[in-house]
Amino acid sequence: MPTLDDERFEAYLKQFRPLVPEPLPAVEPSLRARRAVALGAWAAAAVAILVLGALTLHIRTNRARIAETAENVGNPERLQDSQPLTMQSANALMAKAPSFKAMVDGMSFRSQAVPLPKGKRSAVAVLGKEKVKL
Amino acid sequence: MHRTDRNTAEIESLYRQHGPELLLFAQAVTGERGRAQDAVHQVFLKLIEKGSLRQVVDKKAYLFACVRNAALNEGKQRERNAPLDPDAAWFIPPDRDYAGEQNLRRALEALPGDQRQVMVLHVWGELTFSQISDLLDLSSNTVASRYRYALAKLRDSMFAKENYCANS
Repeated sequence: MPTLDDERFEAYLKQFRPLVPEPLPAVEPSLRARRAVALGAWAAAAVAILVLGALTLHIRTNRARIAETAENVGNPERLQDSQPLTMQSANALMAKAPSFKAMVDGMSFRSQAVPLPKGKRSAVAVLGKEKVKL
Repeated sequence: MHRTDRNTAEIESLYRQHGPELLLFAQAVTGERGRAQDAVHQVFLKLIEKGSLRQVVDKKAYLFACVRNAALNEGKQRERNAPLDPDAAWFIPPDRDYAGEQNLRRALEALPGDQRQVMVLHVWGELTFSQISDLLDLSSNTVASRYRYALAKLRDSMFAKENYCANS
């Protein structure tokens, strides 16, 4: 093969093309984008914690209410349906009831059909007979 | 389009445009395709992260300088003057001339490292002697001199071998 001059030899060398490199690995998001993503994640986490806390509080409050109601229903201080409402039982309820509402609840929905035992009078009947001066 | 996206697109375009020459140059420095590939990737990923090529006047020369630094730094962490990988191809040969490719690769391998770098930068990187002198921190005369020596050695090496093969 004849010796080539410099230019022709260079041209010959250039016919050999360098290999193409492998594609770039997945480009990471820019720093600003990464900061925004991190900030968003923190905000979402904070909101989730707040929602969870509120939910827990709500559930606990509801449970307490339910328990209180159940307690009130099964409260021995409450008058039995069969037991007539008397001044004595009303006074006892007033003294022992934790709140005014509980006391009223305890006295409510009395069965008026139950006959009173001897020597006892209905508080409603007594109050109805009293002359109230306004 | 967002400014960062534009920068990324520009850098990716530069990668497609100059990637092969940069990879070849990194191979000439490191002697190993895997390490060369790592060096080139490292440079471009850093550029994408920083997005700062706007103020660079001669982008191609800058990229070669970055790749050289990355390859040398990576080489320092392992071993200096690593032997070239004899089996990995460096070029896509014309007309499937794989023997020619191997011949060229071996001739390049036989060159001293500084001459090999100048050769690759000028022939395949298409940098001028002035650009190469800036890149390698040498005078233009030194670069031109290294190139002439390298070219002569390469030609002798390649065609002496071919003549030998043809005669035998």
